[in-house]
Amino acid sequence: MQLTPLNRVLLLLGMVTAVSTVQAADPIRIGVSGPFTGGSSPMGLSMRDGVRLAAGEINRAGGVLGRPIELVERDEEARNERGVQVAQELIGREKVVADLGFINTGVALAAERFFQQAKIPVLNNVATGSVITHQFSPPQYPDNYIFRVSASDQIQAHMIVEEAVAKRKLTKVAILADSTNYGQLGREDLEKALAARGLKAVAEEKFNIKDTDMTAQLLRAKEAGAQVILTYGIGPELAQVANGMAKLGWKVPMVGSWTLSMANFIDNAGVNGEGARMPQTFIQEGNTPKRKAFIAGYQDAYHPANGRIPSPVSAAQGYDSLYLLVAAIKQAGSTDGPKIRAALENLNQKVEGVVTTYDKPYTHDNHEAINAAVTVMGEVKGGRVVYAYKEDMK
Amino acid sequence: MNILTQLVLSGMALGMIYAVIAFGYQSTFATSGTLNFGQGEALMLGAMTGLSLTGEIMGGPYLNYWLMVPVVLVIGSLQGLVVEFLAVRPALRIHSEFGWIMSTIALGIIFRNVAENVWGRDDVPFPSPLPTTPVHILGANILPMELGVMVGALLLMGLMELFNRRTLYGKAVVATSSDRGAAGLMGIDTRAVIAFSYALSSLTAAFAGVLIAPITLTGASMGSVLGLKAFAVAIIGGLTSGMGAVVGGLILGIAETTTGFYFSTGYKDVPGLILLLLILAWKPNGLFGRAAVQKF
Repeated sequence: MQLTPLNRVLLLLGMVTAVSTVQAADPIRIGVSGPFTGGSSPMGLSMRDGVRLAAGEINRAGGVLGRPIELVERDEEARNERGVQVAQELIGREKVVADLGFINTGVALAAERFFQQAKIPVLNNVATGSVITHQFSPPQYPDNYIFRVSASDQIQAHMIVEEAVAKRKLTKVAILADSTNYGQLGREDLEKALAARGLKAVAEEKFNIKDTDMTAQLLRAKEAGAQVILTYGIGPELAQVANGMAKLGWKVPMVGSWTLSMANFIDNAGVNGEGARMPQTFIQEGNTPKRKAFIAGYQDAYHPANGRIPSPVSAAQGYDSLYLLVAAIKQAGSTDGPKIRAALENLNQKVEGVVTTYDKPYTHDNHEAINAAVTVMGEVKGGRVVYAYKEDMK
Repeated sequence: MNILTQLVLSGMALGMIYAVIAFGYQSTFATSGTLNFGQGEALMLGAMTGLSLTGEIMGGPYLNYWLMVPVVLVIGSLQGLVVEFLAVRPALRIHSEFGWIMSTIALGIIFRNVAENVWGRDDVPFPSPLPTTPVHILGANILPMELGVMVGALLLMGLMELFNRRTLYGKAVVATSSDRGAAGLMGIDTRAVIAFSYALSSLTAAFAGVLIAPITLTGASMGSVLGLKAFAVAIIGGLTSGMGAVVGGLILGIAETTTGFYFSTGYKDVPGLILLLLILAWKPNGLFGRAAVQKF
């Protein structure tokens, strides 16, 4: 047979693929979905890099069930409709065995139903909306495939109110929340946490994404006599809130959801953001050997600016989520969705993560791996997030 | 502190931000009847190049704020020429009524994506050239940079009026805006005038960008909402009047802050937009706009 140059190349390619499929075992494909572009991307990219870091370590140690892990990463741009497309693509075409990700509560609520229907477990590692893990909970659904490795808004709202009302004795509170799903669901959780203490906010104000002027919101809070501002929003607008307070010459403490730790809040607010407090599952301080190794590994691999992880919480939860999933796959001895779910709900071995050591994190009815005891209060100090209370540094 | 004074002052500062962006829409509409819907992106490019020169994001600082401004103006006007050449000239040549709408939007998206890849996707702080401690006026607080924006907007308006009325080039622009065909017959190179107006438009946008960046958020997506609000201002004030942009900006800005305080912060954008609808119904050319007489 006469071989043309093109045919020769094709033949060679064919031989190479044949050889490689024989040598390597079939990889286990795991979906990673999050916003890798746009305003939420610092969280999405930190989460992805945390997952990649864990995948690299696991693969170097021989993979799981003798097979390497392959991550199938997809950008859902923090858009609900794109999240739905990505979910369908990961399930139908990419045939992933599980999915890690979801930063935005709205996207999570829209997209996770497809995984639930396909009986493919999801480890939700950043989004915090309280309802996320209850969308498909029993008894309406026999089995819930949605798990979480982040502090739900319920936990956070409780901690925020406790910090302001119980610890600092500031009972006149104002709530400032953005107009997204995230901000408004968070506002409801704050209201409930306040109501549990018999309190009601003296002012509840709203702002939009990309708003630059917060005068009206802050003046209303001030006129109502607020002693503290509780926030539910994302970094850039929260920075405008802090800057707006400085402009009005009105300084009250800011306590809010974990997003007050975002680099774009700390940088844009500068000195005005100092002292802001927020619940954190992970603070970039190497106070245990495991955490130290994680931070060093992240810095070596991704060289973040000034050595500061853009969103340490997202990176740590992303890292832990893959270890939890791998432990479940190992225990199940299979990549079958229902078996992984059953193993997650009954993990025999402790899983050592950077947020905490997970000891039976999930049961059939509880799909929250992180509770209030694991979550600590962080504070912006010197342009970084540090522990607000020294006794939490354990 | 006097609440109303504070709301009006903050609203004025916000309105002047909208006004300086709105000027950019006006200059191209005057000459060619087209608008650059990538105005928000021109603003963003001005702010981001300015930040690259005065900030630390690209290994700087290379220049101080005041020396950076002329460089940004030059880059801004070049960007305007690119927009005119790629998006507007082909549409005008084939007498396409609406081709320029899609093509300027498309170019805007391209500029934004390029900026995301060059400068990243995050909002970053822009070092303020003026002190950041507020000053007290009439019992209210205002940032020195907000006063700077007001002065800048009025200066820009004055310069535009002076240019149109006193200089030969300005007269060519005015002639082209009144009747492009007749101006061409009088020996005015109308194509060059249109190209020039795009350069001027992006120049004002770039100037607006470095002017407002120290008080707003600076990032690849900063232009999207501001560009849209400024467009509403240009419509309220009238697309042919520099005065209109300033008054329109003040109306929208003060409407936002006062509604936010006295009514509800959830509805603060509504009165401005209702006003927009009313003005479109009763004075389609805006409060200060001249009606163009169309003869066929």
